[in-house]
Amino acid sequence: MNIVSTYTWCQFTPAFALVGLAALLILADALLPRLPKRIYAFVGAMGTFVAAYFLATGEQTDIFGFIAAIATGLSILLAFDYTKISCESIAGSGNEEGTGEFYALPLVACAGILCLTQARDLVMLFVSLEVITLTSYVLAGYFRRNQGSIEAGIKYLVLGAMSTGVLVYGTAWYFGMVGSFNLGSDVVVSAMKGGVAGSPVLAFGFMMATALLFAGSFFKIGAAPMHVWIPDVYQGAPTPTTAFLAVASKTAGFVVLCSLALPFAPFVVPGSVVGKLLVWCFALVAAATLLIGNLGAMRQTNMKRLLGYSSIGQAGFILVFFLTLNGPVVFMVSKYLLAYALATIAAFFAVAMVRTQRGSEEIAAFRGLGKTNPRTAFLITVCFASLAGVPLTLGFLVKMYSFVAIITAMESWCCICWLLPIMVITAATGFYYYFKVIRAMYWEKAAPGAQPLQVPLCTGIVLTICVLALIYLGTMPLLLQA
Amino acid sequence: MIPLAHYLILSGILFSIGLAGVLIRKNIIVVFMCLEMMLTASNVALVAFSRAQGTAGVPVYDAQVLSLFITGIAAAEVAIGLALIVAMFRARRTVESSALNSLKD
Repeated sequence: MNIVSTYTWCQFTPAFALVGLAALLILADALLPRLPKRIYAFVGAMGTFVAAYFLATGEQTDIFGFIAAIATGLSILLAFDYTKISCESIAGSGNEEGTGEFYALPLVACAGILCLTQARDLVMLFVSLEVITLTSYVLAGYFRRNQGSIEAGIKYLVLGAMSTGVLVYGTAWYFGMVGSFNLGSDVVVSAMKGGVAGSPVLAFGFMMATALLFAGSFFKIGAAPMHVWIPDVYQGAPTPTTAFLAVASKTAGFVVLCSLALPFAPFVVPGSVVGKLLVWCFALVAAATLLIGNLGAMRQTNMKRLLGYSSIGQAGFILVFFLTLNGPVVFMVSKYLLAYALATIAAFFAVAMVRTQRGSEEIAAFRGLGKTNPRTAFLITVCFASLAGVPLTLGFLVKMYSFVAIITAMESWCCICWLLPIMVITAATGFYYYFKVIRAMYWEKAAPGAQPLQVPLCTGIVLTICVLALIYLGTMPLLLQA
Repeated sequence: MIPLAHYLILSGILFSIGLAGVLIRKNIIVVFMCLEMMLTASNVALVAFSRAQGTAGVPVYDAQVLSLFITGIAAAEVAIGLALIVAMFRARRTVESSALNSLKD
């Protein structure tokens, strides 16, 4: 029997390197108990940055992998600044016992994302997706002395495993209808016509399989109605893990969605019934996601929960790109993800800093930062302004692309024009809840006796770089065209 | 010879029981068993399809390989899940999902 592989080993070099590094760190954790754990965080973060460098300069630029690797590295650096809380919540006392894996596991998850970006069939897709989710379950429940963390871990595990079950069942039916696990336009087009025999049963089974697969991938990106886990898990999980879930894991979700949706591009032409159905489905999911994410965020007082709802809302804007499947979807989605990643990671750094020094993750803990730490407050302001979409930041630019996408899509499908007002309204509500944080910093008085925050080294550097990138790329939009 | 449809009906029943159990049951260990049942349903379907897609009695082994992967991943999932359940039991002295109420709007 002839075994033909569609993959080469060197495609996975960065992933192998990261897994090797993670194994080394876990071994070191077991064998060298005296070594300060912060070294692991530093080494791990450097490893992901090196991987990101090779991904960006390699033969085929892997833009999703690049964003995910950078985001993982930054969330490990966030863990570096978060050691005080980590030690309290893991070992119970001030010592570092058992915190080593917390810095090594994100590397494994990152390797999963890098494999995912290379996947061209459902087996690879499923296995690498599971590498990411299984690691995330551990990371979400890692603070075992913290009630919220355990609860977040269990909720994520139950809902995540359910979505895995749905995805796998879809995969099984996909195989049954097509006869292979390949994801390609030719396979999809032939299956939608009922295969060689042209049987309607086969086409129907294939549609069911695709629906199950899409449902599984919607869970990862937090699209309605599979968003219910996001606020709880984001609030309960350790802040570095939340940052990882919000950016790297969401990138993985969009990689899955892209590889599932792009083979359907030949159907998205005027007059095609399948195309109309697909566009309607994406429009409905995008509208529900936008409304739930943005309206839900309005009444939040906890920062991590607010950022959770914000991530649902931003996913809604990204989903709009999928209405123009024949256009440059991957490019647009990665651009939006980049803007979202820069601002969100910086916001989580700010949350972690306030949590470490003021002991609270509520928006109220940000009060008076404009007085006590004017520079930091300005950096945080730019991040939230970019998330809201204020002009001259990258956030405005990508949100505008999202609006361009819906207007382009309306030219061929005028039946989805109701999505445009929904987008306008939800973008406007974004200004309300992101500016709640900015208002707390500048217009509300700090609690009596509030000390200025000491900005930790990594937090300062990352906040500055993210803000500079957001403003620079936002004022020079042509830089991102290349 | 049992026709393919019977296997698919079995897998559909397993999947529905699993999904219903996850949504209805309150004990997290039972919820876990139901999650495993959903994965098993896919395994049954995959193996049946692998036989049905084959030619001249030779099944398409791709699907069986995936079912092995699923078994492995299910085992890893259980290991993580039971660890989390033990941590939860230590903290709250219960494994009912109604006790998971500290995170809400």
